[in-house]
Amino acid sequence: MNQRTAITAFRLLVLAGCVTPAGWLVWQWYFGDLGAVPGEAVVHFTGKTGLTLLLVTIAFSPAFRVTGWVGFMAARRQIGLWAFFWLVAHMLAWMGLDQYWDWPWIRREMIELPYIRYGVAALALLVPLALTSLRRVQKAMGYRAWHWLHRLIYVSAALGVTHFWILTRADYMLPLIFVAVLTGLIVFRIVDAMLHRR
Amino acid sequence: MARYRYPRIPESEVTPRELFESRRRLLRGGLALGAAAVAPGLLWSREAQAWQGLLEERLATDLPSSELAGGESTTSFQDTTTYNNFYEFGTGKRDPEIYGHRLETDPWSLTIEGDVDKAGTFALEDVLAGQTLEERIYRHRCVEAWSKVIPWVGFPLADLVKRHGPTSRAKYVVFESIHDPDNLRGQRRSIIDWPYREVLRIDEAMHPLTLLAVGLYGEVMPNQSGAPIRLVVPWKYGFKSIKSVVRIALVEERPLSSWEERNPDEYGFYANVNPTVDHPRWTQARERRIGESGRRETLMFNGYGEEVAHLYAGMDLQQHY
Repeated sequence: MNQRTAITAFRLLVLAGCVTPAGWLVWQWYFGDLGAVPGEAVVHFTGKTGLTLLLVTIAFSPAFRVTGWVGFMAARRQIGLWAFFWLVAHMLAWMGLDQYWDWPWIRREMIELPYIRYGVAALALLVPLALTSLRRVQKAMGYRAWHWLHRLIYVSAALGVTHFWILTRADYMLPLIFVAVLTGLIVFRIVDAMLHRR
Repeated sequence: MARYRYPRIPESEVTPRELFESRRRLLRGGLALGAAAVAPGLLWSREAQAWQGLLEERLATDLPSSELAGGESTTSFQDTTTYNNFYEFGTGKRDPEIYGHRLETDPWSLTIEGDVDKAGTFALEDVLAGQTLEERIYRHRCVEAWSKVIPWVGFPLADLVKRHGPTSRAKYVVFESIHDPDNLRGQRRSIIDWPYREVLRIDEAMHPLTLLAVGLYGEVMPNQSGAPIRLVVPWKYGFKSIKSVVRIALVEERPLSSWEERNPDEYGFYANVNPTVDHPRWTQARERRIGESGRRETLMFNGYGEEVAHLYAGMDLQQHY
């Protein structure tokens, strides 16, 4: 398999990985397997999926550094946009299926509840990243500026993990895994930058 | 065809109760047949079941029933038994339903000890023998801001406590849930300090609304709901209503309850339902009634203020939350 085919295959794999959870969710909904409060199940599932994809997006660059395989860089924009999509779905699910579009309450919870504040901030930070993901914009901005802007993904992920941590009641297994992965990725980034400083 | 649609299913699409149950009977029947084929001994051993058969007989008769939820309609049996917090089985809402069968409930015994005249360990059938069962329809409010209306079957805790002769030293009543990590997968990790413990002040425990429940919807208590015997304190957040009780002790000094020990800032000793005192991380002013869309306003003491407010007269409920 030549390089091009491998990259295309990888991109398709990433696509499948990002879309399959939606299929699973629809399936569960259709067969009534989301339990007594399906709206809540959708909110939780979209949130976990979005946050996971956000961390995977961040992992793509270290994966490239370690393996030297360009496929990771070729698929990074795609997976990042999918993470954004899932997190937007998460927010819309919360607004519609959890808060029933009750705008005064949505506003109030956004202002008053710390975990909602962190979640909103995490998503807001991703908006400029998604907007500048068009290649034309990327080119117009210049790689340096674009690169700096896109480091916001670390801040967004940290806020997202904090959001998940705060709303957890007792079992911290999954939030701990997220913290560990994000910490690992940040440490790798810093060490890598120090080692390769010119 | 979809079995469930959001947010509300038309009545015509709800599986009729009889059908739902006949399917369960069929499944059970199938299992029994299978068991009969391989090991007849298994079937005979069912006769040894101590309390379940007796309770089923009593549930089949007309029990006195009191409606104490302000006429609000009851949550469906299905929703009540498929959306539960019972961390002994896992922290997911469906874990108790999925893994509940691993709890062995028959035979079951209850230890009653501490500052009582008649201490000891008693078989559940003996505990139930002298009690008049009744149905009580109560609101049930979880600290996570969801709620249900549940027709419990049980008897006042006070009846049991009186039977065992509490001494004058008894100031608090401590409850302990079953501890069995081999069968209860949630107990293999220390999410909380197992076994689950809860504590009531003696006057709260003796209050006529405080129930020991052995059933719901006219049926033997399902495992995920706290079989075989659980506490129900309708004016407090659900976590006070400890499930699958194995031990009740009357004591002079107040021990910490499990949630209080885990996080005292968030789960106070009293845990009275109070819309004016928020959980540090979310509002308690509203609640999601399971099976409904939208939110309801949460009622002070979960709507039982007339009956219980006097228990807390003179106390600052912002401080003693």
